This record gives sequence, structure tokens and C-alpha cells, in this order.
Amino acid sequence: MSSQNPLWQNLFQHKKDRTSEVTDMWMSTPLFNKITKRECRDLVKTMHPRHYKKGELVFNSGDIGASIVLIRSGSIEIKAIDKLLAELVAGDFFGEIALIIDEPRTADAIACEDSELIFFLRSDLEEWVKRSPKSGAQFMLNIATVLAARLRHTNILLSLQNN
Amino acid sequence: MIQTLIQHPLSKTLFIFSLICTAIALLAVLLAPLLLPIIISFTLYALLEPISEIFERHGLSRNTSSLSVLLILVAIGGIGFSLILPNLTAQLSSLQAQLPVVWQTITTMGNNFSQHVVASLGLEMQSNGLTQHFFNQANDWGKTALVEGSNILISLSILLILVPIFTFFLIRDFRNFRNSLLDKLPNSSFEMGWLIYYRVAHQLQGYIRGIMIQSGIMSIITTIGFYSIGIESPFLLGLVAGVLNLIPYVGPLLATVLPILLALGHVPIDLWLVGAAISVILIAQIIDNIIVIPAVIANAVNLHPLVVIIGIIIFGNLFGFIGMVVAIPVISTMNIIYYGLHQGIKTRYDLKIKSKASA
Repeated sequence: MSSQNPLWQNLFQHKKDRTSEVTDMWMSTPLFNKITKRECRDLVKTMHPRHYKKGELVFNSGDIGASIVLIRSGSIEIKAIDKLLAELVAGDFFGEIALIIDEPRTADAIACEDSELIFFLRSDLEEWVKRSPKSGAQFMLNIATVLAARLRHTNILLSLQNN
Repeated sequence: MIQTLIQHPLSKTLFIFSLICTAIALLAVLLAPLLLPIIISFTLYALLEPISEIFERHGLSRNTSSLSVLLILVAIGGIGFSLILPNLTAQLSSLQAQLPVVWQTITTMGNNFSQHVVASLGLEMQSNGLTQHFFNQANDWGKTALVEGSNILISLSILLILVPIFTFFLIRDFRNFRNSLLDKLPNSSFEMGWLIYYRVAHQLQGYIRGIMIQSGIMSIITTIGFYSIGIESPFLLGLVAGVLNLIPYVGPLLATVLPILLALGHVPIDLWLVGAAISVILIAQIIDNIIVIPAVIANAVNLHPLVVIIGIIIFGNLFGFIGMVVAIPVISTMNIIYYGLHQGIKTRYDLKIKSKASA
């Protein structure tokens, strides 16, 4: 009934706004583990949504990186030396190394289709850490956990390749 | 050939850099009457932003914390002015009254020296006219400085109204304004733009906070020093020494002029006081170089001393005292923007070349 009648749908079905939707996406990642939804929502308001056309380059390996990126819609290919490393979809995030160190990007990221990406910049992170040191410390711990898990995964892959 | 030259990272960087410089210069020209309150407000923003962050950390909204910071600023400013202004005015009047005596003493000294040279060496120096000209010139400068001083007082009243308003809006809205401005960058240069902004803001904030603390410490040290040796207007001289310390290298030299002139104004000339006045500045400089600069400024700006001196001279020549004060942060900002742009453009260019070669 509701799907056939948009009027009723709009009246009784709560439609999520962009901030709430992005907040939920971030909250479902391990990065916001043990961080309150309210704080995540405040942080999302400072993030930077950007739109990419199909085939557009998000960043190149060697580019200066300054942010972690969440895919709100669309999909992104991660490549290194023309080898496909991963294809990420809505809700996935990438580029987290740039949030920690001021080093060039290590892979290419290309939009596979029209995509909306949410950039969380290092400068925004630092401002947030100053405002909320406890949550900031928790976020850093979460990032360390994610990076450690990725390192472990890479080590396993390498050892499997060697064997 | 021309195509290669246009595509070259250096020419591309120089082109974008020139565009940015032109935009900044145009903005500076358009905002010329408001430039001083804007510079002071940005300085206060850099100093007060951490306080606003503390309030926000304790749960206050951005609006409330900005308003609280503004109230603190007005309260401190009000108390400071009510305490300092009467003392400062009295010392300024005393200095004004003493200036003719100082010139007279220096003129007498010059004449005595000239006579001594004639008597002992038999040389006619023809220096009377020159000395007279020099002291007339100095007297004119003194008078101009006093007229300028009264103009400054009028400008100060305007500043007292504008600066708190600008500072409040900067603390409250600067982040949003900056975000909306930088979000207008194209996708390809979005991150590079943010990174350059971040580096500039980080370095400028460090420099401004450092130099203001340094200036305050220098004011306190020299005021105590001048008070201890018994020179007139110690508070005013300390304040001038602190403000002049905002100009690297040149400022400390300028800061010695007024105390030496005042020490020379004593009849008979008190050489001990002259030496003591110079010593106060020297000791303050030693403390500044050994303790204060490494602790509070460190590597806030990484510029070659020659670049700093030439920059101060050029900016001073173009924009006066304010130019000398802002020379270092402006040059440092330009330096970061140029190298940030070059790094980003060169990386893209190298990748393009590499992908062409592999294809």
C-alpha cells in the first residue's frame, strides 16, 4: 500500500536525512567502535561530500593524501600497478593511512560508476581530537586496530604466496 | 615545444601561484581600510581558538563558546586598558616633555665633540651644519611621530569596536566559511588544497602564538630591567621593546634607540645609564634567543635569515610598520603554497609521463 501511494509513505515513513545516513554508515564501520552516535553525527557534519563521475580518478598512487574516504553511493576500484586490489561498494571506506601519516597514497582509486564519496580530512580529525580527546583517542585506537588487521591479512597472503 | 613548456610542472606551478598571489593582492587592496583590524582579529583568533575549543569540549555550543570567548576578551581588554592606559598616557606625556631636552643634550654633545676634534687635531670638520640638519630632521621625525601618535589613538578607538566583532565572527564562523570555500575546489585538487591550507594554518597559528608569547615575555623582561636601572618611562619602553620584537632581527636593534636617547637626555650625561639601557636590551635578547625562541617558536617558520631580512625591508618599505610585522608570516605562507602546489602538480605530471611511457 505504502509503496503504491507516496503520500502515505511520506507521511508515516521517516525518511533519513543525509547526515543520519552517513552517520549510520560510519557507525557500522570498526572505526567508530565505542564512540557515541551523537559524537559521530557531529563529526559527520564537518565531513566533505564529493561527487565523482564513472571512470573519474579519486586519487593516484603518489598523490598527496589527507583524508579517509567513505563510499556513500556507487563503487570504487582500488588498483596498484594496474592490478585490481579491491572493488569497494557503498558503506566501505579506504585511504585510512593518509589520516595518520603525511605520506603519498599507495594505490590508485577510480570510480567504477557515478559515486558519492564522503571525505574525512586529517585536519578535521585533529580539530575533533582537540575538542573531544577521549573519543579521539578511541578513534585512533580503532584505526590502529583496522591497520593491524590489514597488515595481518597482507602477511597471511604473502606467506600463502611464498608457500 | 610551447605545449611542453606550458605542461611543465614549474611553469604550471608558477602560473597558479601568480594567480593566487594576484587574488590575495586584490583582496588586500579591496580590504585596505580594514586590513589592520582583520590582521589583529586573525591574530586573536589564533590565540583564542584553543579557549573556544576548551569550552566546546565541556559541552558548550559553538555559539555560546564564541560568545564566552568574546566576553573574556572584552573583560580582559577593559581591565587591561583601565589599568594600563592612565600609566601609559602619563609616561607618554613625560616622554613628550623630555624629548626637547634629549635633542638639546645630543646637540651639545655633537658640538663638544666637534670642538674637541678641532682643538686636538686641528681639523675643521664642517660638521655644525650637518649636525644641525640631522637634529632638525630628527626633531621633525619626533614631531611627526607625536602627530602620528594622536592619529593612532583615533584608529585605536575604531579598532576597539571592530576587532571584538571580527574576532567573534571568526571564532564562530571561520570553520564553516573555510569549508564552503575549499569545498569549491575541483575533485582533482581537493585534497591538495586542503593539505596546503592545513600546513599554512598550522604554521601560521604556531608562529602567531609563539611570537605573541615571545613579545609579551620581552615586554616583561625589559620593563623590569628599565625599572631596575631607574630610566624614565620603563613601562612604555618595555611595551615598545615588546612590540618591536615582533619584527625579527631589525626590531631588537630599533628597540635600543629610544632607551639610549632617554639615557643620553640626562644632564650631565650619565654614561652608566646608557650602558645599563643597552645591557637591558642585550640581556633580554640573550634570554630571548637561548630560552624563549627555542621553547615557544622553535621551527615555526623555516626561512633563511637573508630572506627574512630582505622580506622585512621590502614589506616595511611598501606597508610601513605593519608590513614589517606581517612580512615573515606572509613570506612563510607563500613559501608553503608554492611548494605544496609544486609537489602536487609535479606528482601528477610524473605519473602522466610514467603512464605514457608504459603505454
